[in-house]
Amino acid sequence: MSADDHNRWSEDLAAYMLGALEPGEAAGFERHLAGCERCREEMRWFEPALQTLPEQVERQEPPRRLRESLMAEVRADAGVPEERRSLLPDWLRGGWSSRGLRLATGLAVMALAVAAVAGYEIGKGGGDEGGESTVLSTREHGVSVKMVSEGDGGTLHLANLHQLPPGKVLEAWVRREGTVEAVPALLVPDREGRAETTIADMGGVDTVMVTEEPQGGSEEPTSPAIVTMSVPQ
Amino acid sequence: MAVRREKAERLADEELMPLVGGKDPEAFEVLYDRHGGAAFSLAYRIVGDRAAAEEVTQEAFISVWRSGARFDAARGSVRSWLLSVVRNRAIDFLRSKAGKAPKLDFDDESVLEQRPAAERTEEEALRRETAGEVRGALGKLPGEQAKVIQLAYFGGFSHSEIAGILGLPMGTVKGRMRLGLEKIRGELAEGLA
Repeated sequence: MSADDHNRWSEDLAAYMLGALEPGEAAGFERHLAGCERCREEMRWFEPALQTLPEQVERQEPPRRLRESLMAEVRADAGVPEERRSLLPDWLRGGWSSRGLRLATGLAVMALAVAAVAGYEIGKGGGDEGGESTVLSTREHGVSVKMVSEGDGGTLHLANLHQLPPGKVLEAWVRREGTVEAVPALLVPDREGRAETTIADMGGVDTVMVTEEPQGGSEEPTSPAIVTMSVPQ
Repeated sequence: MAVRREKAERLADEELMPLVGGKDPEAFEVLYDRHGGAAFSLAYRIVGDRAAAEEVTQEAFISVWRSGARFDAARGSVRSWLLSVVRNRAIDFLRSKAGKAPKLDFDDESVLEQRPAAERTEEEALRRETAGEVRGALGKLPGEQAKVIQLAYFGGFSHSEIAGILGLPMGTVKGRMRLGLEKIRGELAEGLA
C-alpha cells in the first residue's frame, strides 16, 4: 500500500463513515480498507465522533402509546406457538414449484416492482475456511435475487428493489418439509434498492420466498410473494 | 423462560442482547426504556414529524427484536448499533417519501440564494438540515462543516448531492466532512463534547 494510495482514499474516509459516498465509491473504499491498516486505524479514531452525532439532537419525549404498541407487538410475537404456521393462506398451500424458480401470484397488486424468477444459475465460489459457496442467482422483471450458502445456512441478497411504502417491510420465508417458517431478520431496501437477510439453517429447505408485510413482520405470509426461489436438494 | 423485569434491569445492554435474541419481552422492554427516548429523538430529528418518528422508531425496535442475535459486540455498543438501525430506517423513510416533503421554513438565506427555489431535492435538504436543534460538539463546529455533516448524517444525502446543493466542489465537501469530524473527535478527546 503506497502512501499516495492511502492519501487518495483517506480523503474519502469521513464521507464513507457518514454514509455519503456513492455506492461505487463506497465499494472501492471498502476494497481499499481491507488492505490499509492506516485507514482502519483512522476509522477507529473517528468512530467516537460518529457515535456522538445521534446523541447531539434535541431530546424529544416519545409518546406513551409507542411503548405500549411496541410491547404489545413484542409480547404477541413471543407468545406465538409454532402451530400458527399452519394458518397459511390458500395461495401458499401446496403447488410450489418443484423446479427452478417461479413467479408466485398477484404481481398486479404488488406495490413493489416485483421479480418473477423463471430460472436460476448455480455457481461455485470460494468460501471461508476452505469451503465452497453454492450460489443461486437470477434476475427477472428488474429484481435480482441471489442465494449464497455458507456452511449450514445462507444469505439471501435482493437488489433493484423499489422503496417500500411507509409501514411496510419485506419478510423472507423458507419452506422445510412442507412447513413454512419466517426468517427472523426483516428486510428493508437500502437507498440503492438492496436488501439481504441471513438464513441460519438451510437444512431441508426446498423453497425460499419473500413477501411484503406490515412493519414488524407477520407470523405468516399475508401477501403474494414477490420472489419465490426453489432450492435444489 | 423470560427473565423477570427486575433482573433484566440489572443487566448491561450487552447482557440483554442474547436475551432479546431469545425473544425475552422483559429484556426487550428494558432495552427500550433505556434507549427509546434517544431513538425517538433521532428519528424525529431526521424525519421532522412526530407521527413519522413514531413509525420509524417502532419499526426499528421491532427489527431489533427480530434480529437481536445479529448484534456484534465487537463492533460497538448496543446503543450505537441501535441508533444506527434507527438512523438507517429514518433515512429509508425519508427516501420513500421523496417528493412529499412539507413546505419548508427557510432559515438560511445564504444557502437558499444559491439554489433554484423550485427544486424539491434542495428544499428537502434545507428541511432536513434545519429540522431540529443540534447540541454539543456538532453545534460548535464552523457552520460550513456542520452543514455538510448534518446533510449527510441526518439528511441521507451523498457528498455529490451536497456539492450540488451547496454549489461546492465535491472535494471541498469531503474535506469539510473530515475537518468537522476531526474537530468533534478532538473535542471528545479533551472531554469537552
